[in-house]
Amino acid sequence: MTGRRRLGLVAAGSTLLAAAPLTVIFESWTWIAQCVLAVALIEGAAVATRTFRFPTWAQAAGMTLALLLALTWMFSSGKEIIVPTPDTFAHFADLLRQAGEDTRAFGVPVPDRDGLLFVAVLGVGAVSIVVDLLTAVFRRPALAGLPMLAIYSIPVAVYTDSVPAIPFVIGAAGFMWLLVADNVDRVRRFGRRFTGDGRDVDVWEPSPLAAAGRRIGVAGMLVAVVLPLAVPNVEGGLLTQLTQSGAGTGPGSGNGTGGRINLFASLSGQLNHTTTIPLLKVTTDEPEPFYLRFAIADVLNDNGFGNESPRGSGLGLGLPDPRRQAATQLSSYTEHHARVEITKDLQQNMAPLYSYAIGINNLNGSWAYDQNQQVLYSSRTTTRDQAYDITYLRARYSPEELRQAPRLAANDALMAYTATPGDATVETEVARLTKGKTTDYDKVRSIYNWFSKENGFKYSLATQTTGKASEIADFLTNKTGYCQQYAAAMAWMVRAAGIPARVAFGFTRGTPAGGGVFTITNRNAHAWTEVYFQGFGWVPFDATPSAGVTGSARSGSNWAPDVDRPTPTASTSTGPGAAVPDSSGDPGAANGPNKSGVGEDPAGTTGPAPETTDWTGLWIAAGIALLLALLLVPALRRVLVRRRRHAATAPVAPVVLAAEGITDLTVTAETGRAREDAHAAWDELIDSMVDFQVPVDPTETPRVTAQRLVRDLSLTGEPAEAATLLGTAEERARYARQPLQGAELTSALRRIRSGMSGSASRRTRLRATLLPPSVLLNWRAGLSEWSTRTAERLSGLRESLTRFNPRRLLTRTR
Amino acid sequence: MTTPTWGEPAGPLTSAEFRAAAQAIMANIEQVIEGKSATVRLALAVLIAEGHLLIEDVPGVGKTKLAKALARSIDCSVRRIQFTPDLLPSDVTGVSVYNQETRDFEFKPGAVFANLVVGDEINRASPKTQSALLECMEERQVTVDGTTYELQAPFMVVATQNPIEMEGTYPLPEAQRDRFTARIAMGYPDPRAELAMLSGHGDHDPLNDLRAVADAALVRRLIETARAVHAADAVQQYAIALVTATREAPEIRLGASPRSTLQLIRTAKAVAALEGRDYVLPDDLQALAVPVLAHRIIPTADAQLNRRTTDAIVSEIVHRLPLPHARNPYDTRDGRASYESRGR
Repeated sequence: MTGRRRLGLVAAGSTLLAAAPLTVIFESWTWIAQCVLAVALIEGAAVATRTFRFPTWAQAAGMTLALLLALTWMFSSGKEIIVPTPDTFAHFADLLRQAGEDTRAFGVPVPDRDGLLFVAVLGVGAVSIVVDLLTAVFRRPALAGLPMLAIYSIPVAVYTDSVPAIPFVIGAAGFMWLLVADNVDRVRRFGRRFTGDGRDVDVWEPSPLAAAGRRIGVAGMLVAVVLPLAVPNVEGGLLTQLTQSGAGTGPGSGNGTGGRINLFASLSGQLNHTTTIPLLKVTTDEPEPFYLRFAIADVLNDNGFGNESPRGSGLGLGLPDPRRQAATQLSSYTEHHARVEITKDLQQNMAPLYSYAIGINNLNGSWAYDQNQQVLYSSRTTTRDQAYDITYLRARYSPEELRQAPRLAANDALMAYTATPGDATVETEVARLTKGKTTDYDKVRSIYNWFSKENGFKYSLATQTTGKASEIADFLTNKTGYCQQYAAAMAWMVRAAGIPARVAFGFTRGTPAGGGVFTITNRNAHAWTEVYFQGFGWVPFDATPSAGVTGSARSGSNWAPDVDRPTPTASTSTGPGAAVPDSSGDPGAANGPNKSGVGEDPAGTTGPAPETTDWTGLWIAAGIALLLALLLVPALRRVLVRRRRHAATAPVAPVVLAAEGITDLTVTAETGRAREDAHAAWDELIDSMVDFQVPVDPTETPRVTAQRLVRDLSLTGEPAEAATLLGTAEERARYARQPLQGAELTSALRRIRSGMSGSASRRTRLRATLLPPSVLLNWRAGLSEWSTRTAERLSGLRESLTRFNPRRLLTRTR
Repeated sequence: MTTPTWGEPAGPLTSAEFRAAAQAIMANIEQVIEGKSATVRLALAVLIAEGHLLIEDVPGVGKTKLAKALARSIDCSVRRIQFTPDLLPSDVTGVSVYNQETRDFEFKPGAVFANLVVGDEINRASPKTQSALLECMEERQVTVDGTTYELQAPFMVVATQNPIEMEGTYPLPEAQRDRFTARIAMGYPDPRAELAMLSGHGDHDPLNDLRAVADAALVRRLIETARAVHAADAVQQYAIALVTATREAPEIRLGASPRSTLQLIRTAKAVAALEGRDYVLPDDLQALAVPVLAHRIIPTADAQLNRRTTDAIVSEIVHRLPLPHARNPYDTRDGRASYESRGR
């Protein structure tokens, strides 16, 4: 049956359209080519089996076979000749396994990996078979929406945030195409259509009802795209992006093609990876280096910790020296050098650094340094295969010194880092822990010490979380988690105690390979807390049990010693390099962990936090301004039109009334111009009438219109004369041999407009000025005319195409 | 078209001359017919438009008086025909009688051989008599016994009829009605005019005091002047649109003829000239649509059952039809255009 074959083709097309959301997952377009090929083969099989009237099961089998063949050819193991062999299936299993690994290894958008491409083609092919069967065989195209939805759910699941609207629109359009095609076919089976006047309608002729259906479809799609923006609870929409300026997530791994990744999700992804992948190698002259860090999460709201996009200047200006900055000058520093070599597997646009880098060399691409976050980032380049040298300062702290740190003033800009979503459990716990503590450091230590084995905290990577605020609070009760929960929970509690805190992301020290070389793998991904002390900057506190973290340097710090291991010896898990003699007696002997300086001085730190709000305000203001500007467009258009017409109607010649009597119809430049002027003036009068809601009657002559204007608005004096003058001018321009020349039409227009505005209500006046109905009507007319013309052109095109359509039933009269 | 039978030089008048002459005629008539200046003006316009006038109204409102006053005001030959059921066509057109002396048939001209023919109660004559007017009204000539006799110019038939009384009358056939340029109704005078009439007509008939203020030559010049009035393309289009609308209106069985288009424009030119304009306005056409078109159309049976008069139908068309080149700010033209495109 031709109808079925046609529907099958539509099903294949709409399946491909529905696969459009996958574009956001893949970096390149290879998958599309492969999917198109596979779907084409499947559909070819479907058409062939239907042509030979195979039973349904045979059609399904044929399509499956086509998919299998397509996969065999595209993902060949190299051994088979066209036909798949057992080896092929083993290869497929291998590809599937590889895909499983790749999904953990790569953030979106993913590069062209065989495994992932295989899964994509397999999935789209399977959906294509199901859609085809549902549509062409079972005639339930609405159900075909479900497998299509399955495709769409993949980017939704991968992107925690938001999925671009355009792929959704394409997919939805594909689904609607399917529905339309099915219904056209269905209606066709009822028999011939006919119009009310008894004329037969060809089946391929558009019907007004179909146009209505299409309009409803388009409207529905628009609502589906636009409505979520208006609902504040739906995250990731345009509004959220505008108002929060990227809070919650930041530029993550990937090559900057718009893929955004949650730092926490990326962290847990790294740690949960089934295999160990070497990511980078560090060579340093520091004996016991602290952690490498590359990102900061400093915004805490109901969604948990999120980061702001880093903001800073290029490396050309040099990096700030913490020794010369008021915010950090109380600590003592030692200078070190390190070389970082990154493998191809660490592909992100934030470069790992030791804290207080004062010189970075040999880094390719354009990179910028955010002084506040102490983050080196790039919008275009990634760290992949980079090797660079760092000169950095290691800060040393001692508990005694930190106790001296003065409290921050309540109005200090850094107090922005004490904001929390507010949670009774956390608040109570913090109040209990900090009771009786006087200095900030003691409070922090009290909280820090609480995250110990004795208090029931247990390290477990098995915890699956989304990082939401409620889950962080839950961690305080169930006490099972890994560095993510520890770091976030501690930062929150410190914030709740009124001390600025944030979460840092990076890598632990790694595995020493001798000669100052440390190998860092995905197992070394880590998160910890940074607390701000005035005069010392951001001091790191790692509350995670060192047993759970490879390369933990927790035991090495004397201001934040390992609470689970009172003796300051290296933990077994930290490897040989972690065995560091404790130098708690010496304030400067500790391995200085990174300590992010916040700008040059307290004054300098006031910048970043309010800047966020400024941007938000600016966005809103810009939005409102844009909206106002858009609203004013009709008014502006009206003013421009009026000005043009006034310019046309300004008298240029002295007042010479046309000679009375019968003369020949003369067309000179002057009379032509006078006619144009009168028409312009009349058009302006009509527009003014529309603006002031005076009815306009196209059956009225200019004379009668002018008389009605005078009568209805009870114009007297000048406006009445002006109306009569305009009426006469237009009348003569249209019908007389000689137009009225040299009349003061512009001033007449002004007078009559003021007359009209005088007799109009305030509301009408306001509307005439701000939203002139004449302009709106004109636009509406233009729009509908355009749409009519387009529809006519399209139907003409369709008409010319149906000439080649053998299925046309009626002969055309045209 | 007629040619003047006596050939003095006739040229167009200037605007001022035209207005003076027309004013004189109208003022003259209005001495007799009080408070009916619009009707008088229309009657004069029909004369200047070289048309024929049908005055239709109830008895006693001055139909015949208007016809006679118009005739008296112009110094030209006037004949009056009282249409009665026994009137014969030859009474109207003329007859050939045998002259004993010349031993030949001699043509005795009938009543139509005049500049102004007043036909009173025209619907009382039998259709065969009525049809005697067909040729002379349109072609301005009379053919008797194979000989064609030209009529004088100007030539105008002013007929009256009573629409109420149906007994013993023969309604004018369509062809006859189409030859009348305009049908006007007198209407009752308002009380003030009626009072003036009482005081004026108390002792004598003012019709007897009426002097002629124009002659046939002047009327010919008036006609020539009016012909030169400019009717712009837009006006002509509008006239055609109006007439076409009567042919397409669903309530009308028979619409107005092309002749009516011509007469509409001609009358509009005369009206424009009477108002001192040298160009026709759509306003003129709107004002003339009912008198010029209404008596020609035949409504459908449905419209007649609904008591829809032809006047009402025509004036509704006038109010419905947009002017050519008029801008309609409310009309999107969407519905109609797409409807048409689908209708094919």
